[in-house]
Amino acid sequence: MAGVSVQLKNTTIGTVTKTDGTFSLKVPANGRVLVFSSVDMNTEEVTIGSEPMNVSLKQADRSLENVVVVGYGTQRRREVTGNVSTVKGQVVADKPVQSFEQALAGRAAGVQVTMPNGVLNSPPVFRIRGVNSISLSSYPLVIVDGVPTYTGDYSGTNAAANALASINPDDIESIDIAKDAAATAIYGSRAANGVVFITTKKGRPGKARVNYDGWVGWSKAYKLPDVLNASEYLSFKTSALNNYNQTATSLGLSPTAVTYNSINGPDGKPVDTRWFDYIYREGFSQSHNVNISGGNDASTYYFSTGYTDQQGIIRKNNFKRMNALFNGDSRINNFLTVGLKLSYSDEQNTAATSSGSLNGEGFNTAGLGRLAIVLPPIISPYKNDGSYNLNGSAIGSSNITGISSLSYFNPVPALDLNRSNSENNHIQGNAYIQLKPVKWITLKSLYGIDNLIVDNDLFWNPVSGDGYSYGGYSSAWMTRYKRWIWTNTAQFDYTFASRHNVSLLAGNEQQRNTTLGYGINRQTLSDPAYNVIQAGWTTNNATGMAYGENYLLSTFGRLNYNFSQKYYLQGNVRQDEYSALGIKRGVFWGVSAGWEIAKENFWTNAGLNNVFSSFKLRGSYGKVGNVSGIGDYTPYSTFGSGLYGGTATLAFSQVGNDKLQWETSKKTDAGLAFGLFKDRLTIDAAYYYNNIDGLILNVAQAPSTGLPSSPPQNVGTMYNKGFEFALNALVVNTKDFTWTTNFNIGINKNMVTSLAPGLPYILTSTSGLETVNRTQTGYSVGYLWVIRTGGVDPTTGKRIFINSVGTPVYYSYLAKSPTTYSYSTAPDGTVQYKGPNNVTTISQPADAVMYANTVPKGVGGWNNTLKYRSFTLDASFTYAYGFYMYYGTNAGLHDQRWWNNASDVLTDAWSGKGDVGKKYARPVYNDNVSNGSAMPMDINVFKGDYFKLNSLTLSYEVPRTILSKAKINNLRVYVSGKNLAVITKYPGPDPEVSSNGNSTTGQGVDRNTGASARTITAGINLSF
Amino acid sequence: MQEQSLQVLILVSNIKNQQTMKKLIKYFLPALLSVIVLPSCHKDYLHPVPETSITDASAFSTAGRIQAQLLSLYGALKSGQYFGGRAVIYGDIRGEDFINETQNLVTGSDVWFENPTNSATAVVNLWSQAYYTINSCNIFLDGMAAGGANVVGTALASNYIAEAKLIRALSYYTLLQYYARPYADGNGAKPGLPLRLTSIKGTGFSDLARSSVAEVYTQVLKDLNDAEAGLPLTYGSAYTNTTRAHKNTAIALKTRVYLSMQNYASVITEANKIVSSSAPFVGSTGVKDTMAANIVNVFKTPYTSSESIFSMPMTTTGGDNPGTQNQLGFYYSKTTGNGEFSLNPAGIIANTGWTATDARRSFISTSSGKPFLNSKYSAPSPYTDYVPVIRYTEVLLNLAEALARTNAGVDARALAILNAVRQRSDPTTVITATTQQQLIDAILLERRIEFLGEGLRNNDLMRLLQTIPAKGIAPSKASSDAGYIWPISNQELNLNRLMTDN
Repeated sequence: MAGVSVQLKNTTIGTVTKTDGTFSLKVPANGRVLVFSSVDMNTEEVTIGSEPMNVSLKQADRSLENVVVVGYGTQRRREVTGNVSTVKGQVVADKPVQSFEQALAGRAAGVQVTMPNGVLNSPPVFRIRGVNSISLSSYPLVIVDGVPTYTGDYSGTNAAANALASINPDDIESIDIAKDAAATAIYGSRAANGVVFITTKKGRPGKARVNYDGWVGWSKAYKLPDVLNASEYLSFKTSALNNYNQTATSLGLSPTAVTYNSINGPDGKPVDTRWFDYIYREGFSQSHNVNISGGNDASTYYFSTGYTDQQGIIRKNNFKRMNALFNGDSRINNFLTVGLKLSYSDEQNTAATSSGSLNGEGFNTAGLGRLAIVLPPIISPYKNDGSYNLNGSAIGSSNITGISSLSYFNPVPALDLNRSNSENNHIQGNAYIQLKPVKWITLKSLYGIDNLIVDNDLFWNPVSGDGYSYGGYSSAWMTRYKRWIWTNTAQFDYTFASRHNVSLLAGNEQQRNTTLGYGINRQTLSDPAYNVIQAGWTTNNATGMAYGENYLLSTFGRLNYNFSQKYYLQGNVRQDEYSALGIKRGVFWGVSAGWEIAKENFWTNAGLNNVFSSFKLRGSYGKVGNVSGIGDYTPYSTFGSGLYGGTATLAFSQVGNDKLQWETSKKTDAGLAFGLFKDRLTIDAAYYYNNIDGLILNVAQAPSTGLPSSPPQNVGTMYNKGFEFALNALVVNTKDFTWTTNFNIGINKNMVTSLAPGLPYILTSTSGLETVNRTQTGYSVGYLWVIRTGGVDPTTGKRIFINSVGTPVYYSYLAKSPTTYSYSTAPDGTVQYKGPNNVTTISQPADAVMYANTVPKGVGGWNNTLKYRSFTLDASFTYAYGFYMYYGTNAGLHDQRWWNNASDVLTDAWSGKGDVGKKYARPVYNDNVSNGSAMPMDINVFKGDYFKLNSLTLSYEVPRTILSKAKINNLRVYVSGKNLAVITKYPGPDPEVSSNGNSTTGQGVDRNTGASARTITAGINLSF
Repeated sequence: MQEQSLQVLILVSNIKNQQTMKKLIKYFLPALLSVIVLPSCHKDYLHPVPETSITDASAFSTAGRIQAQLLSLYGALKSGQYFGGRAVIYGDIRGEDFINETQNLVTGSDVWFENPTNSATAVVNLWSQAYYTINSCNIFLDGMAAGGANVVGTALASNYIAEAKLIRALSYYTLLQYYARPYADGNGAKPGLPLRLTSIKGTGFSDLARSSVAEVYTQVLKDLNDAEAGLPLTYGSAYTNTTRAHKNTAIALKTRVYLSMQNYASVITEANKIVSSSAPFVGSTGVKDTMAANIVNVFKTPYTSSESIFSMPMTTTGGDNPGTQNQLGFYYSKTTGNGEFSLNPAGIIANTGWTATDARRSFISTSSGKPFLNSKYSAPSPYTDYVPVIRYTEVLLNLAEALARTNAGVDARALAILNAVRQRSDPTTVITATTQQQLIDAILLERRIEFLGEGLRNNDLMRLLQTIPAKGIAPSKASSDAGYIWPISNQELNLNRLMTDN
């Protein structure tokens, strides 16, 4: 190696190696040891001997010297007293994801990242240290290169559009996740959910480096449920009809006119449709990124462009992104530096129709997730002449008599003809100027923008489905989100007496958001061949109207002090004034301390430094806030405009609160970090306690008060407390084989401690139609609230419900009072059920109990890298335990209307007198109570604990010897799989899903969510 | 290096080196100040003014805003959950003349089956929307009393106030027909509704016990009487007379209310204000309502016939029509809508006395082998048929029934009215009756024929405490059965601690 410094130890005698790596040095006769050192390399000391000297230097582990982004600056990792986890950019690069968070699962202790569904570009559920709010978002604040950016789903259609997908994961240098008050209080009123700092790649001085990263991949749906085929359906569902008629006749009621009949397809064979084949597909994806970076001592640049075209597992669900990024920094002279970052991204998120999987879609009649399992296999999507099988807006069902319409849609015309797309154009950029009038003062002024334009396009065809009753329906609307931010900081770094290191930051920041949206909705096509909004339609309406503005004015400061790099103290304070609050001004702060105990004399004297290579204690406490998602005009009571027969009306529409404040989170954190075996094994452990109060709750008033909305109030309290533990080890380190492992776990306990006076609990419904989550004091948020059951009666096959006081109640779909009753305390139905308060039916409000928690007790990951010569195997596992899921889809899979059922009805449903221990009741046509459709039941609640092989990558680095001939610096080829295998008792497709998306109180519900994807990719990294 | 000592970390120190101290002050303070003071702030951005709505403080400040608020009371009534659709639909499907086709809880299959739960869509939403309408009326009335009246002048103020009271009265009356025992059951002594008569704009007012049925009816009649006094005789245009309340609207509604109380004498007194003593039956004051010549035209554009006393107008503009799965056409028509309910072949359509040439039969046709009310509400999506709230023919039949029940034998005027209504649609049939009971039964039968699809069947069953007959697979419900009236909305039970369930 050239340029290595060679020095005689403890002298000034030295030289530098020549280009060929050789050197020559005259040393005195008593010269003993030569010290070899170079930038980024471990220093080596070699005793002078008689043989020729061959010295090799190893790449230095700079982890402790690495910088961590801490908000308005950086800090060396060893000096950080807050709780910050860092994830390197290469972890999220080259993965078959649409946005970087999808690759963050299991990478940092206490950070939970789970995918709510298999729709491309859905924002993951991202939680740092549990759920931190009820009404507001629990998503952390994401800062990209100093500018806070948008998070969440910005699509208005059935395609998902995570705003963070605008950041090409390949452009990310590092992700720093700040968790405690000390690390986040500098962001004051927005910090309660944690802060995630994204730093994009910058250039480095040196020759220009060009990189190409590309991959191709294939995705398929994974773990689809087993449903009945046509002959099983006919025999099982007909037996349900027979059961109905048998009971009806015995009670003197009329038999049903419904019959199920086989019908022949165009080939003369009976129709046996596997609906999964029409709805899911194998998706092909590809991604190409090129970046070029370089610079000299004064200026550096990084430029990249990327293109990706990904197909999801649901037909017509695609993600296409084109983006470009430029980062440039230039030190103009000794005191002036300027920089510019500019990034542009265009994402097309496309889908044909509702997947039934996004938040609010669970009960969509058009939802593909449910249609795939509910539609009978005896019906074909096509008639024998090849046209669509339709009956009005619904699917044609001529071979099911007695039901005039199934009311559910034929998915095939929707997939063929409908559109539900969202295109995002996103510009993120900033420019800064930095002045250093003297060495220890840094003045910086940064102006940033983040502009997002969302273009929504929705089309429902006139032939079938949602658009049928309108004769065609289309909406197109655009929403423009603009943000500017102007930050000015002054930083003073001074060392007094060579031991007291002081750093003081003072700053001022303004951030302004404006939202503007408008669009058109058109109905009834003038010609059935049209399918764009600009064509001929009969009716026009306004839609997508949006108008909003908010402003945040802040002043902040931070003081860092350390004494000889052994004792650390830090304090942050920020004053925020936010326009959307009633009481606008708040002050937030955090203090922390750290102690590098391994540097103490008593430590080395006790010989502990022979055991521990490093040991640091730290603790912090502070108060931060959450305002994420508060409406811009929430403090005001307002009247809104409407129409009555074409004339303008003004109606009381919003109840305001002019005393509204932020939610407050007081965070305590105490931790230690140490290394063993020369830091070959490092452990990081922390205990935390977040005490949250002033939770904003829309305190519902009795409907007879006639209020148009529930006014928000700061009333609730909640806490999260737990442990985090992270272990990093170089387990095996031989010449040819190394194995590094990282194991992390976050154990969390969430407890709601108070809600509001007169508000004993909060119910969260899934798409407004089924409620299973109940948030109540004394339990974690979103607890499952279901009715208990006592199995199935062996004599009669009736579903047994358990009422609120534990009495078994037998249910029969058919009953005729006064002979028999639907709800009876006798198995034969002759004794009418009379419950508390004289009720005669089982109902959820009367009989459901707080049944199981949905918030995991522990989440984490286990990441391994095994290297053998030039081959590397990366295996990452993620896990979560201690939680339950409501598999609501299972209710639908056992529903006794005409719906198709899961195969287990053939074995697990009661079929005759004396059948003991069966899970499902005697099948009686039209019964949707015994299975849990009409009222949620405990038989559909399952343990959600899982252990997943999240990603597995095998890569090969082509040896330099081959590459240097082609002037290639580095070539790596790899094969990788994502979401490959899972160990879990959960019977649904994926225990991670959430029908309520990122909802804080609606987790743990799987209602008609489609399957998740398993993806295999192959790719190369090439650099010149 | 000389040893230095430091007493306080920042700013003030005992550094002996004066040069450093000077530099400190020379650079530090200005640098610090420049960062905090220099950037210009936009303090006005901290108080944004809503650009798309009017704040509470200025809602009564102009005459235009007050009129818009008044129209919003009609707008609240017109919600698809209420008189824009579902209040009418529920009134029909609780009766025996419709058969549920789709077993869809969202479109009232449980209402039809007579077993909706406390959390049923119908039970929760009708309650919420009716009370939202009532509170909006209260806010309007309190705002007018607090100064709004001065802004618009006495004449307009008393007009608007009367309209608000009528809408409030109609809401309380409608709620009573679903959520409380009929007046006839104990003369109104049974639990009624929480009587909200003052505006609520904030929190802390949830708890209110139920007043008795009689107390609610008293308030309804008080409001209607006040309304009759303050409403104008006419607005001068057929459209406004149909879509806004005028004096005769209050009178017409009073006949419906008194009929539900079985107060037949008052029905007659009120009806006589707007019904002539003999055919052709027509009002003499205000808007001179009379039966339209052709019943079919009452349900066609412009929907403002001479008998349409009060209807809810609809247009194709978004938000100005009933909204998805709320529209009468969507529920009743299989040709233009989803045919959620077909007609019961064993119901009123089987009545042989209702001849095939009766004009009202033209509303009915067969689709997929079943009879549907395909053509009464025939506007296509977005279903812009006006929804009838009350029409003159109902006043006539209310009067006829009151007369028949009051006077022994066969009341001649009642019989004349009955035949006028029948012969408007079927000139060939003459209805005869030999006993008082026969006349009453004939009138009740005529109501079922005339008002099929207009939501009045429930009122008629309830006020007479009649058993709801069985239909299709739905069971019958006697007045003593559980489920004869609806349960109370579970949201109300959860949030109003003084509320009791039925």
